[in-house]
Amino acid sequence: MAKFLGLDKLGLLIKTIQHYGGIRASLYKLYRMDEVKIGKLVGTDKYGNKYFENPRFFYSRNRWVEYAPKYGMDYDGSQVPAEWYGWLHYKTDLLPMNDPSRPKYKWMADHTENRSGFPEQYTPYSTTTPKIEAWKPTKQ
Amino acid sequence: MAQQAVKTLRQVKPLLSLDQGQARSRVLNLYKAWYRQLPYIVHKYDIPKSIGDCKNKLREEFLKHKDLTDVRVIDMLVIKGQMELKETVNIWKQKGHIMTFFKDTEEPKPTDFLSKFLTNTN
Amino acid sequence: MLRLGISKVLSGAKIQHVAVVSRAASDIAKKPEKIEVFIDDKSVMVEPGTTVLQAAAQIGVEIPRFCYHERLAVAGNCRMCLVEVEKSPKPVAACAMPVMKGWRIKTDSEMTKRAREGVMEFLLVNHPLDCPICDQGGECDLQDQSMAFGSDRSRFTDIDFSGKRAVEDKDIGPLIKTIMTRCIHCTRCIRFASEVAGVDDLGTTGRGSDMQIGTYVEKFFMSEMSGNVIDLCPVGALTSKPYSFTARPWEIRKVDSIDVLDAVGSNIVVSTRTGEVLRILPRTNEEINEEWLSDKSRFAYDALKRQRLVTPMVKGCDGQLKPVDWEAALLTVAKAMNQAGNKIGAIAGGLTDAEALVSLKDLLNRLGSENLCTEHTFPMDGCATDLRSTYLLNNKIAPVEEADFILLVGANPRLEAPLLNSRIRKGYIHNETDIAVLGPKTDMRYDYEHLGEDPSALNQIASGSHPLAAKLKKAKKPLIIVGADAMARADGGAIRTAAMKLSQELQSNIVDGEWKVLNILHKVAGQVAALDLGYSAGVEKIRNADGIKVLFLLGADEGTISRDDLPKDCFVVYQGHHGDHGASIADAILPGAAYTEKQATYVNTEGRAQQTLVAVTPPGQAKEDWKIIRALSEILGSKLPYDNLDQVRYRLEEVAPHLTRYGAAENANYFKQALAISTMAKGNISNSPLDVKQKKLEDFFMTDAISRASPTMAKCVAAVKKHMESKY
Repeated sequence: MAKFLGLDKLGLLIKTIQHYGGIRASLYKLYRMDEVKIGKLVGTDKYGNKYFENPRFFYSRNRWVEYAPKYGMDYDGSQVPAEWYGWLHYKTDLLPMNDPSRPKYKWMADHTENRSGFPEQYTPYSTTTPKIEAWKPTKQ
Repeated sequence: MAQQAVKTLRQVKPLLSLDQGQARSRVLNLYKAWYRQLPYIVHKYDIPKSIGDCKNKLREEFLKHKDLTDVRVIDMLVIKGQMELKETVNIWKQKGHIMTFFKDTEEPKPTDFLSKFLTNTN
Repeated sequence: MLRLGISKVLSGAKIQHVAVVSRAASDIAKKPEKIEVFIDDKSVMVEPGTTVLQAAAQIGVEIPRFCYHERLAVAGNCRMCLVEVEKSPKPVAACAMPVMKGWRIKTDSEMTKRAREGVMEFLLVNHPLDCPICDQGGECDLQDQSMAFGSDRSRFTDIDFSGKRAVEDKDIGPLIKTIMTRCIHCTRCIRFASEVAGVDDLGTTGRGSDMQIGTYVEKFFMSEMSGNVIDLCPVGALTSKPYSFTARPWEIRKVDSIDVLDAVGSNIVVSTRTGEVLRILPRTNEEINEEWLSDKSRFAYDALKRQRLVTPMVKGCDGQLKPVDWEAALLTVAKAMNQAGNKIGAIAGGLTDAEALVSLKDLLNRLGSENLCTEHTFPMDGCATDLRSTYLLNNKIAPVEEADFILLVGANPRLEAPLLNSRIRKGYIHNETDIAVLGPKTDMRYDYEHLGEDPSALNQIASGSHPLAAKLKKAKKPLIIVGADAMARADGGAIRTAAMKLSQELQSNIVDGEWKVLNILHKVAGQVAALDLGYSAGVEKIRNADGIKVLFLLGADEGTISRDDLPKDCFVVYQGHHGDHGASIADAILPGAAYTEKQATYVNTEGRAQQTLVAVTPPGQAKEDWKIIRALSEILGSKLPYDNLDQVRYRLEEVAPHLTRYGAAENANYFKQALAISTMAKGNISNSPLDVKQKKLEDFFMTDAISRASPTMAKCVAAVKKHMESKY
């Protein structure tokens, strides 16, 4: 009966609002992430991104990331580090901390997000030697 | 002397028209043909121009040569205009070819020495 | 040996040279009678002593040859030129056999063809089949002639038994690559080395199939003209090391141009592909370089891709040169020039063309400044440079070989103008020219009488108290060649006056009205044009001018002026093509074009105007020099009245008409008047010894902004130094 009236949806909504800590906070989440859903927090990476899972949702929507608050509205997909990428995209069901075969070497570079549009952005460059070698002024 | 010149002018083999009047009617015919085709052109080529724009452009293209008096030159232009029309109506052209008539934002090439020097075109 | 291929002379390609030869011939009282011979049944009248090959060339029949070369002695060892002579049992070698009266020569008969085929077969037996990887491929005489005259099938089975002959490659320096297995022993290189270059380094060892061409001991072929053996080699045995494996002749674009690395103005062909200069070859010009080219001119082209100024630069507030666009650079320069008023000076370097010189002069004159000078010093006292005869090689280059006495004053033509030196050497060998040198003792590759280093000897010779004076006075065709280094001395004016006095005296003994005794040899290509246009030589004027605010360096790279010579706040603009001394002291840099990148006029030391053509486009944002000055003038607000090259040339013609008569050397006269004016100038010859800057071969290779940037030239210097240390 409650299901028929949609009261369970209402209950879910109240539950969600409670989960996020009030209407204000929920509205902020809605603004920031375009949706509010509750799930189980399965892990947090070193940058502060939180990873959730809720099997109640359909496959491909049942795993999601909540970007760290420091990114504000400037979040994008490249901020997900490589080890979480696989789980998030269903390449694996193993969480990175549970995966025994994941290589870990001290020389491995830290994850960097896509910096296009910033001074540090990657620009392609030619590897052939230029035909004309220009004179470089000596530093004075 | 002047009469002689006129004589030689008259002896020139005509292209199509024998006098100004004929040439004029050919031009007007071409203009009308274009004018009638404009709605279909706009529709078929899906160009971002209204029919009014195209009418203005058509008028502009014709008025470019308004000072011509030589019948042979007018005839030749009419022939070229007909070719152009045929190519357009038969969709032998593409959208870009039509849009090249509207090149108003294109900057004219520099002509004086300094601008040519600075734009690397000399 | 014949001095010139008679065919060349008679074909009348160069009318002026015929005049020179006929002048020489007029000394002979009577010409011997001509004799008639028949070549392929065509009658031809030739002088006795003419060889069969030359007689055939007269009616346009070309006989194939490998060893024969018009400018070298006849060797007659390749046998490719065998032709049938009627009633002769055997074919004769056309290059060495003088014709006899009534001979009937058959250049197209069965016997001739068989002889050629046989010779070709023997040559190919010991020639590797490596044309696909050979640098000569496509321009190889052996390839061409085996196609034209060789057999259409091979009988060569020896490859299965003893194999082909193989010869070890020799290392003869950084310029010439040797693949000695390809050598067909034509000995052209040996003859060139000993006859023209005067370096008896190359020779043969062994006989028959053991014969080898080499340097006997392991040593470099050290000559300033060594590159010519690459052109002479009919096969790919001697090829250019810097050019090796870069291009094939059919994919190259060839542009006729002029060399500017010395004052001779050799004619060159610039080969380019994909916007790069790939090599430089000589172009025949009988009046200047014949068909030779000096090594610096031939191999310094790799510098055109290095150390280039490709973008305008302006010094920022931190004192560093920063790349900017043309507009910003020209505005900065114009601002500085506007503030300077007429306190502007300009120095033109040695590689500057006449168009740039005239525009810069026009611009500075419009701004009210007369401080225009060239970097290379030349005496400006006395008649200065008002009369052209005081600064030209008046007697021209080609007739040098006819001289019977040459006095070199403070000059080392071997390194300053190698092609002039080859003419002197030619006279020395074939004409028994006596040569005397006043100046340091250097190796010129011919014997000469050394008169010491005291320049006052000139006065002694003139007064007759010197032992040489009598000999000089007896000479029918004497020449005095004064070098640029002697002229650059403080007492250069006095030396010139003494030389003029002496030559005036000698001139009166000479019958030939065309012969001119006084000759000045310049070292840089831009100097004569600059003097023609009224630049004053030497940077003294800039040093002495007070409060110069803007100094415009037009390719001035010799470091004759430094920051210390200028006021602190002086703004230095450098316009040129290579980053060298000039660019390093500049506050603003305007990138110009090098000589292969512009159509420009250069005047050689004879006063012959010639033009370079555009072979490649200037790199990056670099522009033709006169255009930069023209653009600057418009921004300055005193617009120069020319917009294209024709208009600049019209202006050139207004200033000095000879500058646009390309190819012709205008005669300069008024020797007497010049002498009269210059004697009015005060100053005596000091007794400091005469010196030249380039004494040894290693001084030859790097003399200007272009050759200093060339890695090949650096390798040459290193090789010469290494060679000096070796025991041979």
